[in-house]
Amino acid sequence: MISEFLSYGFVQRGLAAGTLVAAACALLGVFLVLKRLSLIGDGMSHVCLTGVAAALLLSANPVYVSVPVVAAASLGIMKLTQKFKIYGDAAIGIVSAAGLSVGLLITALAGGFNTDLLGYLFGSILTVSADEAVLCGLLLAAVLAGLFFFYRDLTSACFDEPFARTRGIAVHTLNTALVVITSVAVVLAFKVVGIFLISALLIIPPVSALLVSRTFKQVLWLAACFGVFSVWAGVYFSFVFNIPSGATIILVNLLVLAGAYAWSKTGGLKNAR
Amino acid sequence: MPSVIEAENLRFAYVRVPVLEDVSFRVDAGDYVGIIGPNGGGKTTLLKLLLGLEKGQGNIRLFGCPLEQFKQWHKIGYLAQKSPVSQSGFPVSAEEVVLMGLSDRHGSGVSLSELKQVHEAMQQTRTREYAGRIFHDLSIGQQQRVLLARALVSRPELLILDEPSTALDPESREMFFNLLGELNARRGVTILLITHDTGEVGKYISKFMYIDKTLVFYGTKEEFCHSQTVAEKLGAFAQHTIDHLHNHGRCPLGGACGEIKND
Repeated sequence: MISEFLSYGFVQRGLAAGTLVAAACALLGVFLVLKRLSLIGDGMSHVCLTGVAAALLLSANPVYVSVPVVAAASLGIMKLTQKFKIYGDAAIGIVSAAGLSVGLLITALAGGFNTDLLGYLFGSILTVSADEAVLCGLLLAAVLAGLFFFYRDLTSACFDEPFARTRGIAVHTLNTALVVITSVAVVLAFKVVGIFLISALLIIPPVSALLVSRTFKQVLWLAACFGVFSVWAGVYFSFVFNIPSGATIILVNLLVLAGAYAWSKTGGLKNAR
Repeated sequence: MPSVIEAENLRFAYVRVPVLEDVSFRVDAGDYVGIIGPNGGGKTTLLKLLLGLEKGQGNIRLFGCPLEQFKQWHKIGYLAQKSPVSQSGFPVSAEEVVLMGLSDRHGSGVSLSELKQVHEAMQQTRTREYAGRIFHDLSIGQQQRVLLARALVSRPELLILDEPSTALDPESREMFFNLLGELNARRGVTILLITHDTGEVGKYISKFMYIDKTLVFYGTKEEFCHSQTVAEKLGAFAQHTIDHLHNHGRCPLGGACGEIKND
């Protein structure tokens, strides 16, 4: 049954894109969770609605329209917190509400998009195109390159931002890069799990990994593994039981979280030497 | 003496509420400056301005270089008033935290010379025994000592410390101030320290800086104890500080000190 399932080209593309984007989201999510910016993914996903609605109205590719829209929104969140001293969660709420309302307005003005829009809201991993799969690969490559070249700067800035600034680390540039690349990840992830559930890919795998890890490198590895596992298991179960893939992926993530919690009660990897 | 810090006409306000006004001073190499003053007087803000963590008005030069162009951050060690305890879920070991004080390399690799420096700093602060333990599992006092090691690891020429002894037990506090005194006396490390603990640290400090929205006093310990101006401007606070120094046997005027002397 599994070999039959994997023999379809659209399944292979979907799984490849899902694997790449889940790993990228999990790795980015570790930094967002530790920087108390978890909900930025939620805010960006709501802004995605504006991008998708505008793309459908213009008959353009939603991914290409959404990337600049969501990136601009994420920079807007940063500006609100830094320039206007608005709390991070409040800034996310403001941008999120703006994104959702503009998206709904465009949808209403266009007379609704029916099934097209629903596909983006709830995810349709098996409709991922080859181009989009390549973009997911580029995204993960960018995330891994960032981690490889700036690992110490990133951990230092994440642990103690003011101190990192006194080391000459370009914290503002790192933060900007983090939110811009996260916005790209969010856009690419809406095909996998849907606009409503994107933030779960950014939050749940890192939280599960943080529960059981002893070192920061373990957190990164485990978060990526948990994210990828949830996509594979979620897609498989959705195929077997004929249920929506996006929701199933997130439910698998929640089961992994429950398992990690139970494991953390026995010490997880924290007892390993 | 070459100057380590030159500050001219520093001003800062939080949402139009002035915190610091017209502060100018110079710290020379080898100085050990104790910054004192009331809560809310702008002491922490002053240190943040010097480190570029807050942007105000005025000119700052570090080691002769304008702050905006300053790149030699390894020359400065910084220990903040609040440790990053909010990062309670961050799984980094004490050793990794100390390593964060070295920023010459950006990737994940660690060189042997860096490890040597980390071990040396942890030895100095007596934190090697818990090098492998997760930072947030340590007590607040132990965390503070690890953070001091992080400030020392780059072998800085200037240490900027914001009430570093608050969370320390008496033994650790004594070790801490002795270490700072030794760094200042033997290695010529310049120290800028906010403290309310003038008795403990008094024997090492060479200059006092009193900040209360502006620079009220800046001069040697002798000038501080001897000055009628200080008495007039600072009143009970100055007498309290001098009493504290005197009671700990660290008053520069020795037995002659019982009250503020006239100029």
